[in-house]
Amino acid sequence: MNGKERIRAMVAGKAVDRLPLMPITMMFAADSIGAPYRRYATDHRVLAEAQLAVAGRYGFDYVSVISDPAREASDLGARIEWFDNQPPAIVESSALLADKSALRTLQLPDPAGSPRMQDRVSGVALLSAQAGDSRIVEGWVEGPCAMAADLRGVNTLMLDFYDDEAFVLDLFEFVVAMEIAFARAQVDAGATLIGIGDAAASLIGPRLYTKFVQPYETKLIAAIRGMGVMVRLHICGNTKKILAGMGQTGAEIVDLDFLATLAEGRAAMGDSQVLLGNIDPVRVLRDGTPESVTAAFEECHRQAGRRYIVGAGCEVTRGTPEENVMAMARFAGSRN
Amino acid sequence: MADWDRLRQAIIGGDAKTAGAVAHEAIAAGEEALPLIQKYMVPAMDEVGRLYECEEYFVPELLLSARAMKAALDPLRPLLAASGAKPAGKVVIGTVKGDLHDIGKNLVASLLEGGGFEVIDLGADVAPQKFIDAVETTGANIVALSALLTVTMPSIKTTIEALKAAGVRDRVKVMVGGAPVTQQFADQVGADAYSESATSAVTAARRLVAAG
Repeated sequence: MNGKERIRAMVAGKAVDRLPLMPITMMFAADSIGAPYRRYATDHRVLAEAQLAVAGRYGFDYVSVISDPAREASDLGARIEWFDNQPPAIVESSALLADKSALRTLQLPDPAGSPRMQDRVSGVALLSAQAGDSRIVEGWVEGPCAMAADLRGVNTLMLDFYDDEAFVLDLFEFVVAMEIAFARAQVDAGATLIGIGDAAASLIGPRLYTKFVQPYETKLIAAIRGMGVMVRLHICGNTKKILAGMGQTGAEIVDLDFLATLAEGRAAMGDSQVLLGNIDPVRVLRDGTPESVTAAFEECHRQAGRRYIVGAGCEVTRGTPEENVMAMARFAGSRN
Repeated sequence: MADWDRLRQAIIGGDAKTAGAVAHEAIAAGEEALPLIQKYMVPAMDEVGRLYECEEYFVPELLLSARAMKAALDPLRPLLAASGAKPAGKVVIGTVKGDLHDIGKNLVASLLEGGGFEVIDLGADVAPQKFIDAVETTGANIVALSALLTVTMPSIKTTIEALKAAGVRDRVKVMVGGAPVTQQFADQVGADAYSESATSAVTAARRLVAAG
């Protein structure tokens, strides 16, 4: 089996020759080819080179264009702070929608005419051409809560849930329409899976998640699945209280951060949900040893059961020892 | 003192309008600021912290309560200053240089303020010199440093070293926190306390003040 066949088989509930391996790598990948992160995030050729390098070296079953949460916001005109060797950040103090009325005049961007979104689409095309036959090529979009937070400011959005429900719903409608178009462009360029990052969703409780976020995640996921590709839902942070809702969004792969256990994920989402994760990327994967990394994955696999993909709870961080990433890869290679 | 439990309830319920109105009402009735804060407002934010800790409240509810706390505290501040009442401690807080993430820091700042501390919030992406200046101008006794990214954690170390170089490190206790920050890292950089959560940061700050 190649990586593409392996991931597809796992999602389809069929037998696999070994566990699929899909850790998120960004700064770790850039560092592996000696590229400053700013170049990784702004030049799809650098990103593709780094993704192919880590996928080849460690046997990852996929390559991904995930880089930072600021691509869509940047193209919409949000103020971005750039750094030479770390991800760009959206400047919340001058959020694009600090004034709510600005939403009424905000135009949906065309990915083809938007520099940072187009760079990601080009990254998908390049990876698809170079590795699409044997590996899954993952496109990436922001989830509704994360994208709304990127535009409005996360602190303000948290209060908006109580202060102005109608505005939140209008904002979510806008961002989901934008992300469907962005996903479509990446699928057209060759993406065979779309990852959705919705980190801000872990800041809210189950009531707000069910009322506001889950319906829009579900809508986005249904639209992407309608394009004929798989969806991976990743929510950074503590998702314990929203696990059941995450399992009802329709995402084929639910990628859990380490703060909720895979046992909790399995209990909340049932036996058929493919779970991905979820060792602590800092305290275990970066700071541990090959032995402790292997032991942590043994436990993950035990909790998740058969429908399981190996990965860390979140991004493999910069400075993670190579032998620990190798231990993760060896674990995936030794189980099915 | 009359019963102003409505103030406590308004803060717990995140109702800023009512919290502010009750505070004004209490002032008009001749109440002193410090007892109002100690009897109703600090317990309210302690309860909010507890609800957050046991995952009945989440970030939106905590921020609503923090806003209500501020609405009540604003009209009380001049009275507090006039009475010469001392806060539980003075905390200079900020997210370190290179890191623009501030929601975790904001939660800690809100709970510290709710816990009776005077909080000087320097915001996000704060250069070491700004921490030094703030310590010197405010006489703060605690510096709280936050980082969300593994790549910005070294800025915590840089900031602590800058405090040392400027000769102010011995005057303050340093607390550190943020998603990737660990006790081990806190020990390595010579911090006085590490907190895993916003609520435990308040406990840690109280402990540092008590220890002198």
